[in-house]
Order: sequence, then C-alpha cells, then structure tokens
Amino acid sequence: MAAVQDGQIEPESEKEIKSETLNDATGNHAAAVGGLLPSSPVSTASVGASNSSKAAASEDQQTLLAVLQFLKRNKLVESADILRREAGLLEESDDAQGSEGGRDELGGASADEGGEAASLFSRVTSATGASGIATGPAPSKVAQGSEDQPDVSVVLSAYSQQGDPALYQMYYSGLKKFIESVLDCHRAELSQLFYPLFVHMYLELVYNNHEQEAKEFFEKFHGDQECYYRDDLRVLSGMSKKEHMRGNETLLDFRTSKFVLRISRDSYQLLKRHLQERQNNQIWNIIQEHLYIDIFDGMPRSKSQIDSMSGSLAGEAKREANKAKVFYGLLKEPEIEVPLDDEDEEAENEEGKPKKKKPKKDSMGSKSKKQDPNAPQQNRIPLPELKDSDKLDKIMYMKEATKRIRLGPDNLPSICFYTFLNAYQGLTAVDITDDSSLIAGGFADSTVRVWSVTPRKLRAVKSATDLSLIDKESEDVLERIMDEKTASESKILYGHNGPVYGISFSPDRNYLLSCSEDGTVRLWSLQTFTCLVCYKGHNYPVWDVQFSPHGYYFTSGGHDRVARLWATDHYQPLRMFAGHLADITCTRFHPNSNYLATGSADRTVRLWDILNGNCNRIFTGHKGPIHSLAFSPNGKFLASGATDGRVLLWDIGRGLMIEELNGHTDTIYALKFSRDGEILASGSMDNTVRLWDAVKAFDDIETDDFTAATGHVHLSENSLELQLGTYTSKSTPVIHLHFTRRNLLLAAGGYNP
Amino acid sequence: GGFSKMASPKTLPKDAQVMIQILKDMGITEYEPRVINQMLEFTYRYVTTIIEDAKIYATHAKKSNVDADDIRLAIQCRMDQSFTSPPPRDFLLEVARQKNQTPLPLIKPYTGPRLPPDRYCLTAPNYRLKSLQKKTSSSAGRITVPRLSVGAVSSRPSTPTLGELMRKLYVYTTSTPSTPTVQNVLINPSLIGSKNILITTNMVSQNSTSDSSTLKRKHEEDDDYDAL
Repeated sequence: MAAVQDGQIEPESEKEIKSETLNDATGNHAAAVGGLLPSSPVSTASVGASNSSKAAASEDQQTLLAVLQFLKRNKLVESADILRREAGLLEESDDAQGSEGGRDELGGASADEGGEAASLFSRVTSATGASGIATGPAPSKVAQGSEDQPDVSVVLSAYSQQGDPALYQMYYSGLKKFIESVLDCHRAELSQLFYPLFVHMYLELVYNNHEQEAKEFFEKFHGDQECYYRDDLRVLSGMSKKEHMRGNETLLDFRTSKFVLRISRDSYQLLKRHLQERQNNQIWNIIQEHLYIDIFDGMPRSKSQIDSMSGSLAGEAKREANKAKVFYGLLKEPEIEVPLDDEDEEAENEEGKPKKKKPKKDSMGSKSKKQDPNAPQQNRIPLPELKDSDKLDKIMYMKEATKRIRLGPDNLPSICFYTFLNAYQGLTAVDITDDSSLIAGGFADSTVRVWSVTPRKLRAVKSATDLSLIDKESEDVLERIMDEKTASESKILYGHNGPVYGISFSPDRNYLLSCSEDGTVRLWSLQTFTCLVCYKGHNYPVWDVQFSPHGYYFTSGGHDRVARLWATDHYQPLRMFAGHLADITCTRFHPNSNYLATGSADRTVRLWDILNGNCNRIFTGHKGPIHSLAFSPNGKFLASGATDGRVLLWDIGRGLMIEELNGHTDTIYALKFSRDGEILASGSMDNTVRLWDAVKAFDDIETDDFTAATGHVHLSENSLELQLGTYTSKSTPVIHLHFTRRNLLLAAGGYNP
Repeated sequence: GGFSKMASPKTLPKDAQVMIQILKDMGITEYEPRVINQMLEFTYRYVTTIIEDAKIYATHAKKSNVDADDIRLAIQCRMDQSFTSPPPRDFLLEVARQKNQTPLPLIKPYTGPRLPPDRYCLTAPNYRLKSLQKKTSSSAGRITVPRLSVGAVSSRPSTPTLGELMRKLYVYTTSTPSTPTVQNVLINPSLIGSKNILITTNMVSQNSTSDSSTLKRKHEEDDDYDAL
C-alpha cells in the first residue's frame, strides 16, 4: 500500500514490475501501477472536470489510454512518459455519461472489429463506465487515492489480467472466509457475490490464456456455488481455452455486462470496509469492474427472499428498470349491435344494444365512458379496423360468452386431451384457434399440419377460373367459393427447411404463421392452404412466433437474442427488441397488443413496449430457460413457466413477483389462464396438467411501503393450497393448453411411449 | 422412451469410448445409442474437412508440410462459414435503437389481404410441364408447343427461369400463324393464392388471332402485376 502513496517510481522499477507480472512478488500489481502515474494527486482535481466530458472527448481519451497502454506493454517507457505528459492524461478514464456515449460509438466499431485491441478495450472500459457503486460520497478519493486504482487497473486489464492469476484462488478464498465470518443477517446477502465473482474470475483467466490456473480455480470453487447455477457451471467447465469462448455470444455478453446485485446498505458498508483495507484491493477492483451493486436502505434480505429472485444470468433487475409506467389495462371493445335471437330470453332492448349478462366484459357494456387510467389510448399503436367478418366473429364470441361456465375451486373445468399419435417425438408446436375449430401441429420433419376439430371438413378456395363462374351476388357466396373436391380432414403444408418450432393462428382464422429452425417465419393462407409470404430476418433458428390478439402484427423470437415485431404487409420487421443475453424462447402479446413479453434462456422475462421498443420490466427469479408465458385476461398479471418446473406469477403494474407455484417436476411448456382469469392451467413434460387457483393467488398480494420501494416480496409458501388438481396423462407430455370460449380446457401433446 | 441399453463399453472401439466420455463430461446422460455414431461421423467429417482445407492452404503458401498455422486458418475459415454465431449485443442494440425510432406505420383501410408487395410474396403463378406433345405434321414455321394441363402444384416458390422460359414460348406461340392444331395456353395468374393453374384450350384457328391479342394483353398484365 505504501507504493500507492508514493507518486515517484523510477522507470526501472516499472520495467521490473512489468516483467514480473506473472510471478508478482508484491501481489499488488495494480496498486503499483496506480502509483506510477505521477500526476495522481493533482489529477483528482481535474477528474471532476473530466466527469462532465462529452462522449467524443472520452472516446479520444480512451484511444489515448489504449496507445499509452500499448507503449507500456512494449516497454517503451520513456515514450509512455512523454505521451502522458503531453496529453495531460487523466487517470479517471471513464465517467457515467462519457462511457455510455463511448459505448454507443465504440460499439459500432467493435462490431466491425476494427482492431481487436480497441474493441476489446472499449468493451472492458464501457462496462466499467456506469458508475459501479450507487453510493453517496466516495470518501476515499482524497484520503487514499485508491479510487483511481480501479480505473487504471481496468485499463490494464484489457491487456493483462487484474492481479496475478496464480493468486486468484487466494483472493477468492479470502473473500469466502470473510463472508463466512460475518453476521448471519448479512451473510445471505453477501453470498450473492460468490457466483458472479467466480464466473468472472474464471472467464478472466480463460480469456487471458491461463488455462491451467483456470482449471484449478474451477476445480476448487465450483462446488460452493448455488445448485441452481449448475447448468451454467457445466457449460463453463467445457471452456478452458479462449477459442472456446469465441462463438459463445452469451458468455461474451456476460463478460462485458454488469451483474446486478441488490444488497442492503449495511451489508454493503461491511463489505466495502473489509475490502478496502489491507491487501484486498484486488477483489474490490474486480467487484467494481464486473458487478453493479444496487443498494437499498432497509433490512437485509433473507436467504429465501434472495433465492426466489436470483437465478438469472444477469443478476437481478435494478430497481429503476421496473419503474416505468406500463399500460396494462385492456382496450375498449368496440360497440357492436347484436341482433337478438329468439332462443335468448332476454328482454328486448330498443336500441339493440347488448344487454345480455356477460360474466366479465364490463367494457362491452359501455357503462364506463371514461378511460381506464391503466389502459393505453385506443390509437397508441395503430391497429387494424374491424371488418364485417370480424364483427360477426365478435358477435359469435359474445354469444358463446353467455354460455360460459364459471370456473372456481369447486368447479373445475373438464379437460379434453388431443393426443398426436405416430409423431415419434416429432411434434414441436401446436396451436388452436380461438373458437377451437382448428388445430395445427408443427413437426420436426418441417411440415405443418392443420386439422379440423369440428365435423366440418377443411376446404380450399376454388381456382380462379372456377371463381369467375360463380354468382357473386348470391347469399352463400362464402360457401360457393370453396372447392368441394378438396375437402379433407387435414391439410399438410410444406415449405420449411427445418423443424417447425412455433405456430400461431390469426384471430380471424385466415392465416397461420409458422417459424422454424431455418430462420424464417412463413405466413400460410388457410383458404388456399398455400404459403403466402416468407419473412426472413432472423438468420438463426426462430423459437417462437405469435399473432397479436388483434391480428395484423406478429412477433418472433429466436436464437439471435432479438425479438422482432412484424406486420403481415411489411417484409421487414417494424421493431427489434434487443437486450436479452441468450436466446429468446417464448414471445407473447399482451391482450391490449401494446406490450410484448419475452422469456429467454438467460432466465429473465422482459416486457417490451411496442411503441418505442423500450424494455419496461425485467423479471428475474427463474432458475432455468423460460418456455411458456401467459397473460391474465385482465392484463394485469403475467405467468411464466421454465425448465425448473416452477410457475411464477408477476404483477406487471408494480413489477413484483406475486407467487411461486411449485408442483411440476419437469419443464413447463404450456400455460393458459381460463377465459375469466379464475384458473391457471399449466402443462409440462412430466405428463401432467395442473390447475391453480388464480383468484386466490392474486388476492394474496401483500403490499406495504417496503415492498413497493424495494421490490422485495415475501412469498407465502402456499403452493399446495393453490393447486386445485393434477391430471396425469399416460405418457404424453403436454405442450399446449387452450380454454374454449365456454371454458372447456383442451390440451395437446404427442404420444411418447 | 428411446433410450435402450448400450453395448458394453469394453467391446466398443476406442473412438466410441472417447465419445461416450465426452458426452458424459458435457453432462449429457440420456441418449440413444445412435447418437454416438452420429457424433463420430460428424467428428470424422469435420476433421477431414479441416485437414483438407489446411492442405490447400499449405500448398498455396508453397510449404511442403502442413503445420499448425494452416490448421488454425482452416478452423477459422470454417467457423466463419458454417458455425457462425449471432451478432454481438452492442451491434444488436444499435440496430434496434435505429429501427425503433421510426414510428409504427399507419394501417390503410382494408383493401384486400394485407400482404407485402408481390415480389416479396410467394404468390406468383407457378408453371409445370406435364408432357411433350408429338408433332402431328411438319410444316415450316410451326412451333410445337408442349401441352400444359391443369395442375394444382404444391406451394413452392416459383422458379423465375422456368416461368420466363414458358412465357417466351407463350409469346412465340401467339405470333405464329394460326393453325387448327396449335394449342394456345391460357395462363391465369391467381390473385388469391399461389394456386398454380394452367389450362389448355384448343382454340379454333379463326379466333386464335383475336384470342392471342387478348392473351397477349393478359400477359402484359401479368408483367405489370409482378412489377408492383
């Protein structure tokens, strides 16, 4: 530490230190170098000025630093000195704004790979740019000058690792010993540090070609990590060389992004005090570089609270990530005059306005004229207007809604299971139309098959010459355009080049979308049963596709970690939602079509605003890739299911986890709320369908100021109470669930003996 | 289902044993026995491809032996070719930012199915030859036209070359002197879907010229239609 205070170090010692990098006797490489920069006490003053530097200046600065680094590395010490003096170089290389601007600009550069060094450098420095610690004053700035050190060591770490690789084990065990010695209440919180530190240190070693040390480090400490990180650790154990990392975009992103931790102020102070004393600066540097510690005031969290929220690849979500306003209300339904039937015994209404009893649709009754404050404006995003056929559909919908069964804990739905036989594990996607008249299956042999559920067969439209012969004015023209010769129970659609992983019917039953491993999304016409459009944009497998509830828009998500919003009449996407660290496995529209939820293999669920592409909510808590999402019919809640067998319920408005439903033992591929939102059905690879009491789960939300402020929930452990029933199939995993308009539950899966 | 007992490891060849070990290290515990064969086949194919490529690079650099640099180069080239990875995150963020700045386009009132411009759709008519017609009598200037018949071809994207070929034949046909035996082709681009419809008609010679002009007009419409 003495070296830190000393501003004068001769060039020879610098050379010495440089050459001894690998077997560092002092064990404090960064500290020594930190003292190297002669203007260290002086520059702290000018640091303040640099804090407000613009992006361009910061970019120049970073280039200068890179050059300086290069000179130092090649032992051109005197040139380095001269450069430093002439450039008036400040050690404070980054500040929050500057680096962000730098990140945007340099991001483009790094994409072009214009100079691996520069891009590498920019990645590392821009990662530190965001002020790592959100505390108040930085007290040690004047006192020790050690605040300057992290930035310098960051600069250096682009080319050499922080500290001596052989000592990484020592740093880690030192931290481990400390954390094990603190008070119980703090221990749980500080234990969150283990996993990100372990992974970052390991990746650091691998990236800098210290294969042996990396392997030893891994062997020694991988057993200490939480069990739910096991899959990640297995992937890591397979990478011991830098080349292994090259193709793994997820790990590269992980390395350059900051892992977010939520720690209470007391625990944080404890940690900081310990690390800034004595020789623990290395760990401190690493923490500052790779972790973002979101500090909150209040009681430290318990282990169970932490466990419920952690598990994602990026840590938890920062508090302000979940504070944006989300319009989760439903759009007003258009008023349609319903022709009264004789079978209905309702009193006749003169205006013809619908006065039938509808279980839930208050917006239909046009009682509330004023706008729901939580609902988006009607024209917030452009939506297609209703055609006549759509109006007829809506009338049918309302009629069926009157015959709907009210479900509840004492009135469970009947379940009808559609088993796909002879699929030989090739059934990869299923969808059912809203009125339950058609089922489509996507298969691993790249075909899509459509079946009719009702006795009415599937017919294709007549050929053009035949169409010119029919009478266009007749009443049943819609029947006459159909070609009877082509009537069949099912139709097969050929076109894709790889397994079909997602299908979606359009709400008006005219189109079917399918997405596949070949990277394309295809739009099929259900009137001619031919492919109309092939949307190319993802160049990698597309895992999920869904039409919006109002038709016209659809969304797709795939291996390239980006979800896209398309419209059927644009051959390029309208919106791109980038931010996930790993593949997007599931995409779902909100009932009001203004928001999109995506679940990803990085174990987070994000809610995106379609209007401007912003990510409004990040939900963490799952311990495995998320494979199913479902919005509640009232738009307020979101349910998500993952490979860890848990269903998590989220309150969208507040951005909190409401409930955790345990019960399934395998991946949950299907989630659906009943038509009125009283029951949540989940289907899983463990061959069961389980029903959960949604009303009870949403009633139990405890809200107090602490929860609202910090986003910490205390989950009640009543999964068993909420589970209403478990229904096992013989040997068929459930991959799709659908509530008919009358609340009959349909399930679908491929028989897997 | 599908996981059956594997052959005893002692009787397996060494390569297979190594592959089993690799699968175990990567955490894969349940797999069909065929997987090992498939993995071995892939390994063989990959390694031979790399070594072949490396040999080409070595000869190009006029070296007599293949060395590590050649192999490294071969691996890298193959990686960029077949094992590409998605673009990096900062690039995606930048592209997304630009794309998300433009407001969502307004939706025009309903004028038909909302589909992209025709050149981005797969709705162009497709053509298919059924069989060739034998020449009945030969005379100068007569063109033999293959007989085309009604066929609902499955939905495949139309091959422009074949279509153009047929269109050329078609145009040629209409300009020949009409004879009773000439068969004209009526091509009806379907507006509804990619129904591939071709109807042969036996036109009477007197009407053929007038028909050819109407047909020709239709053909031009066809062109316009595609050019939208």
